[in-house]
Amino acid sequence: MVFNSLEFFLFLSIVFTLYWSVFKKNLKAQNLLLLFASYLFYGWWDWRFLSLILLSTTVDYFVGLKIFANEKKSTRKMWLWVSVLFNVGLLGFFKYFNFFVDSWVDMFSMLGYEMKSTWTLRVILPVGISFYTFQTMSYSFDLYYKKLEQPTKDFLSFAAFVSFFPQLVAGPIERASNLLSQITNKREFSYNQSVSGLKLILWGLFKKVVIADSLGPIVDDIFANYSTYPASTLILGVTLFSFQVYGDFSGYSDIAIGTAKLFGIELMSNFKFPNFSRNVAEYWQRWHVSLSTWFRHYVYIPLGGSRVSKLKSVRNIIIIFLVSGFWHGANWTFVFWGAFHALAFIPVFLMGRNTIYKNSVVGENTIFPSLKEIGQVVLTFGIVTFSRIFFRSESITDAFAFIRGITNNFTYEVYHHPMGYRMIDYYILLALFVLYEYIIRKDERSPFKFKSKMVRFIIYTLVILLMLLFYDDNVDRSFIYFQF
Amino acid sequence: MKKLFFKTILYTILILLALEVLIRVLHLTKDYPSRYIDEFGVEKWVPNQKGMSVTGIRRQNFSEYKINNSGYNSYREFVPTYDKTEIALVGDSFIEGFHQHYYNAIGKKIESKLTDVEVYEFGYAGYDLADQLHLIHAYKSMFNKIDHVILGLKFENDLTRGEYNIIQDRIHLESPLYKNIRKIKLIVHAQNSGVFDPILNIIGSISTFLKPKIKTYTKEKTKEEIKNMHLAYIENFKSLIEKYGFDKQRFVLLIDTSITPQIFIEHLEENNYKYIDFYDALNTSKTPTTLIYDRHWNNHGRHLIANLIVKYYSNIIK
Repeated sequence: MVFNSLEFFLFLSIVFTLYWSVFKKNLKAQNLLLLFASYLFYGWWDWRFLSLILLSTTVDYFVGLKIFANEKKSTRKMWLWVSVLFNVGLLGFFKYFNFFVDSWVDMFSMLGYEMKSTWTLRVILPVGISFYTFQTMSYSFDLYYKKLEQPTKDFLSFAAFVSFFPQLVAGPIERASNLLSQITNKREFSYNQSVSGLKLILWGLFKKVVIADSLGPIVDDIFANYSTYPASTLILGVTLFSFQVYGDFSGYSDIAIGTAKLFGIELMSNFKFPNFSRNVAEYWQRWHVSLSTWFRHYVYIPLGGSRVSKLKSVRNIIIIFLVSGFWHGANWTFVFWGAFHALAFIPVFLMGRNTIYKNSVVGENTIFPSLKEIGQVVLTFGIVTFSRIFFRSESITDAFAFIRGITNNFTYEVYHHPMGYRMIDYYILLALFVLYEYIIRKDERSPFKFKSKMVRFIIYTLVILLMLLFYDDNVDRSFIYFQF
Repeated sequence: MKKLFFKTILYTILILLALEVLIRVLHLTKDYPSRYIDEFGVEKWVPNQKGMSVTGIRRQNFSEYKINNSGYNSYREFVPTYDKTEIALVGDSFIEGFHQHYYNAIGKKIESKLTDVEVYEFGYAGYDLADQLHLIHAYKSMFNKIDHVILGLKFENDLTRGEYNIIQDRIHLESPLYKNIRKIKLIVHAQNSGVFDPILNIIGSISTFLKPKIKTYTKEKTKEEIKNMHLAYIENFKSLIEKYGFDKQRFVLLIDTSITPQIFIEHLEENNYKYIDFYDALNTSKTPTTLIYDRHWNNHGRHLIANLIVKYYSNIIK
């Protein structure tokens, strides 16, 4: 069941109504409903994988109790390792097993030893496994590092925390200290919170349906036939992919955050207009924030973070970017993507500019950005977009061939939409989208924050009209990040 | 909760109304002309209507149509006399030409090249040879005054029946329910863009689930089956001509020989049926001849067809 489907609309309407009517007065009943709804939501894809969620939930529930019950550091650490090994083991088996086997075989064949890949298994990747395993691990980590005062003894609440359907399959990856505490406490219906949630859902759907889904066929065409296109088309393809993946994933996150609001729960922001970042470090403070935060808290800081020598800090940066890349998928392309970002991040870090934009946005006190800011934004967007070649390509060979296509065939040709649509529609759409995002850049949780009711109404109408104009029932409507 | 419910409904209604207005003002979706069966049993458009034809959900192609007094899309009225020279184009949506401005139709293009000739386009979406010959038969007195008649024929589609009868499925589109739904432009646009498909799919799934399952097989036709089908279509052709008549002196078929079976072409040639083949004219063109979002002829395609007809008649009409 995907967010942009009729099934989800019906599902959400029923669960929301039951949640605030029949189950309103009893917290346990509300959590039971959330758990049931979440399992139904997940089981809609493949009910067999519910057992994995349940297993992961059970392991971390008991690990949490054990970590809390033991004062001895080594015992606590041992239980933390149980959680990490179990969850990473699940990921390793379902997501990376074939990758490791194939890489092993490839390595031997490069050395001249031909091996047959008889170990490769036909394993289906369970949707969202990278997200919920990280979320359950965060619970064990938080207890270990005492960020969470005590574990919950309420298994039902804990299971609802792990499987909370709005963010189950593609995040935001919540920390227990934020989400679990909300699930274990009584929620009251808030009109303002619900309205704010509905607005985020609308904005998220717009980004998904209008930006991501409409660009999908163009990007697919260019990446599938990159060897036949000139540089201008390849640059166009990867630029549009940058917008597609942003619209897709940030759209999902907005719908998730908005849906959670309908149930009285606040999730963390996952995207803070990353396309307006002034350097790569700022980009990572604005793109997939929940994952960056996770790696910072549970990998980077335990490794010493930036409080160690410069050399070790650089090593730590490389590690988290490589791990982050690898987290995205079992393919060397993602490792290259991570490595590329590490290389782009390190100079910013060494110049001490990695946190200078932490608390500001482009054009902080002005209507228009300065020329310097425009230059910085364009350069950062260019770097990030270039890295997307690795992110989108099927293999490293394809990625480098794509890059060679840009450098060796530096010519311009008008690109025609594979289905014959007018390309100018998409260029205008993207220009308006960037402009609108610039206008709302200061608050990612309020995409329609205008004082005038009339202005808000006009924007709602235009957003829905654009959804009608760009809706295409024939495109694949699943979200890109489901594959991770 | 009640406030949220009430305001959601209120906003939904207001937004739907605003969308309806926007779709109308921006002409984002097509108008549906009304159709009827006249006193001769001919299905055609209700005379004297005007509207906009729109292709694609973002108005990729936009044109105006005008249904004349005879019930066909044309800038002129059809008033044939024995004194003038007239050419009638009879056919389906390609001749009907809702994808072009009615003033820029094939007929007008022909008239601009052949002096003192009036071209009447009896085009109607879905017309097959049975519709065409029945129309000519029903309006015999009118067609007798027309000097030349061109009949568009696509073998695979237009010879599936050997006798004319009213196609009820098309007439059902004129039921009050359909007509009223089509008045709401938002619904028309949403339907064209496939917004309702998920709902229809769910309804379809439920009905399939409730009904007993029948296994259906789709297999490719064998050469023998295709040959038999072609023979049956030729029999239909003969039957239609026998029933409604065919003036071999005045009537000419407009066909694409690349998609017409050789056996049928041989039949035409053996029996002295005249035809104009537009395959070469359209397929040797370096620029596209059809609309991007639609298989109908674009302006260039219509221009080539008009040239072909002009060339054919330039020696006949002096």
